[in-house]
Amino acid sequence: MLIDIHAHLWNNKFKENKTEILKACEHYNIDKVYISSLGDQFPTEDEITKSNDETYKFMCEVPSLIGGFCYINPNHSSSLDALKKGIEDYNMSGMKLWIATYCDDPKVFPLVEKCIDYKVPILIHTFHKAIRHLEFESQGIHVAHLAKKYPEAKILMAHLGANCHREIKPIINFKNVSVDISGTIFRRDDVDYTKKLIGPERILFGSDMPGASFLVNYGQVEEANLTHREKELVYYKNAIKLLERS
Amino acid sequence: MESIDVNCLVGHWPFRKLYHNTFSDLIKAHSENGIVSGYVSSLNSIFYNDPFEGEEELHEVIKNTGYHHVLTINPTLPAFEEDIIRGIKLFNISGVRIYPSYHGYHLDCPQAKQLCEVLRKYNLPLFLTLRMEDERLSYIYQPIPLSIKEIQFFVETNIDIKMLLLNIRFNEIMTLKNILLDAPNILFDTSGLKDQLFNVEKLVAALGDKKMVYGSLYPLFCLKSTLFEVTKAQISTQSMERILFRNSRQNIV
Repeated sequence: MLIDIHAHLWNNKFKENKTEILKACEHYNIDKVYISSLGDQFPTEDEITKSNDETYKFMCEVPSLIGGFCYINPNHSSSLDALKKGIEDYNMSGMKLWIATYCDDPKVFPLVEKCIDYKVPILIHTFHKAIRHLEFESQGIHVAHLAKKYPEAKILMAHLGANCHREIKPIINFKNVSVDISGTIFRRDDVDYTKKLIGPERILFGSDMPGASFLVNYGQVEEANLTHREKELVYYKNAIKLLERS
Repeated sequence: MESIDVNCLVGHWPFRKLYHNTFSDLIKAHSENGIVSGYVSSLNSIFYNDPFEGEEELHEVIKNTGYHHVLTINPTLPAFEEDIIRGIKLFNISGVRIYPSYHGYHLDCPQAKQLCEVLRKYNLPLFLTLRMEDERLSYIYQPIPLSIKEIQFFVETNIDIKMLLLNIRFNEIMTLKNILLDAPNILFDTSGLKDQLFNVEKLVAALGDKKMVYGSLYPLFCLKSTLFEVTKAQISTQSMERILFRNSRQNIV
């Protein structure tokens, strides 16, 4: 079984992205993909509505295959309503934070508290860049601040923080933070290094498709020094556990 | 299906610990994945003050193995031609590999021009490394990026030299599409294909299957990641064979 916890539809490319994701699921035997729809760094309220509507539409089209994360811009006064709609009306599985604010911005706190009530995970784009780093692009240290403030929150730090050698250490002691491997970085030793620091129980498979190759991420898990049991954890068991709402 | 890896390395990478960086590790990873040979370079040579000392180390471990020795050259160093001559005599090198981003020069500099003249003289292929790791990860040292314009100019100016463009990205390939199609001597490797789904399928549709050769950038990159990009692509068996070994076998040496 394989669950891809991190994939996207991109603004103005919804149809094209859906086609490619479905094709990837068929070719690569993916059992479930969790989507969030993204666009600009600072989306308007209308854009947030449109993004989440597109995710929901995709979920309804292929319910057995597609799950959703509700994309939120914490700068909006309506963000709690958007989250409520996503989780309660659209039956989405979690909240997605991207680059509109740092994840430890006080504007995020009411949203995190609501996610704790809902018992849903928070997927946080986390990416340290030595060049072209975006304002409000969260790093491991921001995730650690949030995890410390809210130990009951279920946090998923995306992309291993990009440079895992720099970004994993801040979250080592926060057991409520898991990481996903998704994205375009596929260095040979990153999964082994991350396992050494936080164990296989906190690593989830994700691809970031269609803006990244599914196969380079799949190859990372296949090549890592993981036992069969550990691969099962990464490919789907950790995801199932994280998404449990009981 | 057997494969040849045109972009593999051994040695140390100064920015992080590599867990599988010896020649034995490389052989093991290759044999486990059906790769029968490779064009191997020394990571140490990139950073040694005298790169040739890294070449001597590399020769000691790969001699008599069937692997091809690709000599690392920094053309901004004095007497680099002597290193190439010694590399031919002592190591029977199969090509010369350069790292402009790490050695601080651009492809339009006089030293790069001089290097091309030497390559012509000895009929050696050039392995042009566009980048190593993703530039966004390099917070300790910032390599100087090569612009697509200078790559294009360099390729056009040296179209007679056999050349492999290593770790090139999908969008860069598409920008260079016309010149790649016009230049029978220019190939590119697959190690930089990561930024979307179905990379290989799209490139075969756009450029055919004769320009692409399999390369891993192992041990920096995951070998299986790069290999799956080709072996799990929905392309014909003939195209897959060309990318995995026929193109490199026919065109490099």
